[in-house]
Amino acid sequence: YEHRFSPYDFNGGTTIAISGPDFAIVAADTRLSSGYEILSRDVSKLHEVTSKCVLGSAGCKTDVDQLRSVLDIKGKVYQHNHRKPMSTPSVAQMLSNTLYQRRMFPYYAFNVMGGVDEEGKGAVYSYDAVGSFERTPYSATGSGQAYMIPLLDNVIGHKNRLDEKKELGVEELVEIVKDGFVTAGERDIYTGDSVEIKVITKDGIQTQRFNLKAD
Amino acid sequence: MSEVTASIDSKEASNTGGFNFDNVHRNRMIENLAKESNSVLPQATKTGTTIVGIVYKDGVVLGADTRATNGTEVAEKNCEKIHYLAPNMYCCGAGTAADTEMTTKMISSQLELLRMNTHSPSRVVTACTLLKRKLFQYQGQISAALVLGGCDVNGAHVYQIYPHGSTGKLPYTTMGSGSLAAMSVFEQGWREDMPENEALELVRRSILAGVFNDLGSGSNCDTCVIRMDGTVSYNRGDVTPNPVQPLRDAIRHSSKLSISAGTTAVLSTKNQRFAVTLADVDVVEA
Repeated sequence: YEHRFSPYDFNGGTTIAISGPDFAIVAADTRLSSGYEILSRDVSKLHEVTSKCVLGSAGCKTDVDQLRSVLDIKGKVYQHNHRKPMSTPSVAQMLSNTLYQRRMFPYYAFNVMGGVDEEGKGAVYSYDAVGSFERTPYSATGSGQAYMIPLLDNVIGHKNRLDEKKELGVEELVEIVKDGFVTAGERDIYTGDSVEIKVITKDGIQTQRFNLKAD
Repeated sequence: MSEVTASIDSKEASNTGGFNFDNVHRNRMIENLAKESNSVLPQATKTGTTIVGIVYKDGVVLGADTRATNGTEVAEKNCEKIHYLAPNMYCCGAGTAADTEMTTKMISSQLELLRMNTHSPSRVVTACTLLKRKLFQYQGQISAALVLGGCDVNGAHVYQIYPHGSTGKLPYTTMGSGSLAAMSVFEQGWREDMPENEALELVRRSILAGVFNDLGSGSNCDTCVIRMDGTVSYNRGDVTPNPVQPLRDAIRHSSKLSISAGTTAVLSTKNQRFAVTLADVDVVEA
């Protein structure tokens, strides 16, 4: 049959975000792929929208790049009009509106947003491709989503467990994130190379890296 | 004088000869049933794969990666893609895992019967012909792309066999989704009459090119050396450049995450007693 031109390409990757009482963690692998090929082993999927808010996006790289530019511009306009940077819940709403504006020709971007809200509490928002969003304690999206979410559900959401729920600190959660990516990297061909992890607190954003398998 | 009987697959080929379309009606019915009940037919596991074969001074070297994929998921991290055909012949397989496995088993069995009938070792061209005839009969429906290599009375040979039944006899060849990555290494490094250590190194480098640059290939490199003097070295896990344990060890697991008894809900318990007799067990190589 005839092959129609498809405007979308899936460039792979997995992103996750976890919120805590006064912090949020957003992490993503750095592999960019197309079909069976690797285009780059070191491309960031994380974008700092404000100093208190990070957007992680997997999907079609060109749509992701465009979406970031659009958010940056809208964020700057807001800052000029209101004389302050956008708060995290406001950025979350703005992203939803931006995605829904393209309801009939969507941004092929699977988003997850993490940051601290006006009270200093950690916030995570998860999205679908056309802007439906929800504030959640944790979220994962992208090609390795199916391997991450059950792990997060059990360890962080404490689902299907009868033992006592324990409070996990920032360092412990970062180690769980690394473990999750090693697992996703084992079974998802699009996840690998390395993980970029950003920890957001009211004092700013810290970035760290962790190497994964390159096969 | 022993007779070579041609009735090896008399059960499959119908007496009218030519193509056998008995299953077309059945397959259509199965597809319709699946559509009606809105269920999905099971997807065949494909192997992604990088497989290679080269002829060197004293024989052939075959190589393969060890990743089997189901779409974009890794179904098996350490599967065996170099299949036994005869004492002097092995075959690497790419494509649908079940197809490569069963096709090579069938031809291996046919070769053994033929050896019994002819009282002589199998020839590589015989295996090639048996494989291509089966694959052509099924018009490409058997998704098996093979690199066949071995040594016989006529020398050392490497063949490439495609799912539709075409073959090529070459000094070096690669197949699978990682074949381009592997072939780029071969084109740069292959020479005629290479010594064994260099031939092995070339095969290893080409498989690793596939493992790291092709997403359908991964994990380890298996190699198999088949020599003209009749010896074979099957090196399972010849190169293992992707261990996951170092990554896991680099993660500092919190003691809070240790799982104690009682974490998982116990719905019911049943205890059963078994009478056990101690005996001496001989371990047999698989």
